[in-house]
Amino acid sequence: MTATATLAPLVDPTGRRNKAADSTLAPRPTSLRGLTVGLLDNTKPNATALLTAIAGELRQRYDVAEPRSYVKDYFGTPAEPELIERIVRECDVVITAIGDCGSCSAATVADGVLFERAGLPAVSICSDSFLMSARAMAGLEGFPGFEFIAVQHPVASLDGEQIAQRARGAMPEVLRILGVEA
Amino acid sequence: MTALDDAPGTPLADAPLVDAAQIRAAMDHYTRQGLSDGLPVVPVTEEYLQEFLAVTTRDPDEVLLTMAHLNRQLTVRLAAVNAALAGCRPDFFPVVLAAWDALATEPYPVRGIWQSTTGTAPFLIVNGPVRDRIGLNSRGNVFGSGFPANATIGRAIRLAAINVFGLQPHQLDQATQATPAKYTACIAANEEDSPWEPLHVERGLAAGDSTVTATVIRSVVHVEARHTHSPEQLARDVVDTITRTGALLHEYTSAFVVLGPEHARVFADAGWSKEDTRRFLLTHAVRPRAELAAVGKDAISRHTRWRLPADHPDAVPDQAGRGTDPDLVPVLGSPGSVQVVVAGADNAGVSAVVEVFGHPREWPASIARVEAPPIGG
Repeated sequence: MTATATLAPLVDPTGRRNKAADSTLAPRPTSLRGLTVGLLDNTKPNATALLTAIAGELRQRYDVAEPRSYVKDYFGTPAEPELIERIVRECDVVITAIGDCGSCSAATVADGVLFERAGLPAVSICSDSFLMSARAMAGLEGFPGFEFIAVQHPVASLDGEQIAQRARGAMPEVLRILGVEA
Repeated sequence: MTALDDAPGTPLADAPLVDAAQIRAAMDHYTRQGLSDGLPVVPVTEEYLQEFLAVTTRDPDEVLLTMAHLNRQLTVRLAAVNAALAGCRPDFFPVVLAAWDALATEPYPVRGIWQSTTGTAPFLIVNGPVRDRIGLNSRGNVFGSGFPANATIGRAIRLAAINVFGLQPHQLDQATQATPAKYTACIAANEEDSPWEPLHVERGLAAGDSTVTATVIRSVVHVEARHTHSPEQLARDVVDTITRTGALLHEYTSAFVVLGPEHARVFADAGWSKEDTRRFLLTHAVRPRAELAAVGKDAISRHTRWRLPADHPDAVPDQAGRGTDPDLVPVLGSPGSVQVVVAGADNAGVSAVVEVFGHPREWPASIARVEAPPIGG
């Protein structure tokens, strides 16, 4: 018996369909003075505290307007389009936190990309244990180099003073991502 | 001298001749591309794929599950590629499709649970005639290895999660530890040694239907109880496992109790129906509040509803804490939160508690019918 080799290509088993590359950022403000900062809280422990602390720093040091707070329905998936639209309408920049779990790190970055594409400068804050999932999500969204803040893990278990330290430590990155001088 | 007849290294009788280098090259390619669960996969060509698509009447482009937040869709065709990759035979594919149909109606997969640190896995229970048709194991080693249908149907789900939805460990899948069930977790119910009606009949399907019941689980925990013929003692032993505090991320837990046939008979011989058994487990799955306080899980977070200590700034009382008997905390939140299935060998007093992830639901799983084989097939 002679065996004849029938060579055939292997079939692609992936669902790979990253969104088309689109890494345009929203236009940056020249100064933060008087701007309305949106704070998008994903309900994870200490998200409110961290966002409030950062907003406090911005108010004190850069004279931003009274911040506006928003809460996501669910931390594991990106914000609903209606919420994104509302924040874009009502704010000049947005900060969202805290991506300190598998699904919410990815969702926090996805939210940032969605805001930027809708014309709103966005600071997404994750914890540094979840750098990889956050970056993977940026790639999936067609924005592989998307910049976000990775604060030191953990966040959930910190007390008020420790949160204030994390907020102060994040300030240079907040300003850099928003494109304003410190 | 007879020992030399089957010495190691001699050719395996009746085995096909292969080009081992070429097989390895194909398997290595998948591994290098990150298209596997770490174990070698079966190379899949279009011709082989067509054998899978031939066993179903469904359109290859039909979408089985969409993960909108990941911008990914699983089609019948992609489910087939990954089933073939996992080592399924084509006649296993209708069970894989039913598994996806059931998983598609589960609440957590579309909400990012397979990216979560909690590290869950899909869990499949197969009922009905398809079990015998494709050799699904329902008896000894039911959670173990050794049976192609069990091993590869569960694996087909995992490989699609990795390849189609892009849920690679260390990247989008951030499970802290996960569970061995991530490789495969597919059991068949031992209907033949069960004193009660099978799961799918309970759910209103015909005994002659084949079904897949799917849910999302965290752990499979052993219950050793070879000592008793008392249904109350046995049930309390099971309850102790269901109510362990480590299972309580949320306010409540849910469970599939997979009884070995011997344990099922302890209940049935005492005149307990499956419903009686379930009711007993439900009623007794209660912890004194002091025991929850001792591990810092005596309240819930106002934000996440996860358990935490009562003195935490985010703490609000759990449901029991707002009721008439605040010192006794039920850990099963809905009448359907505990379900009973019979599986395993009829040879010892061993059962398992399969811990289901999530908030209380009317029924902690989803069920789907397996497409019948073609007439004369």
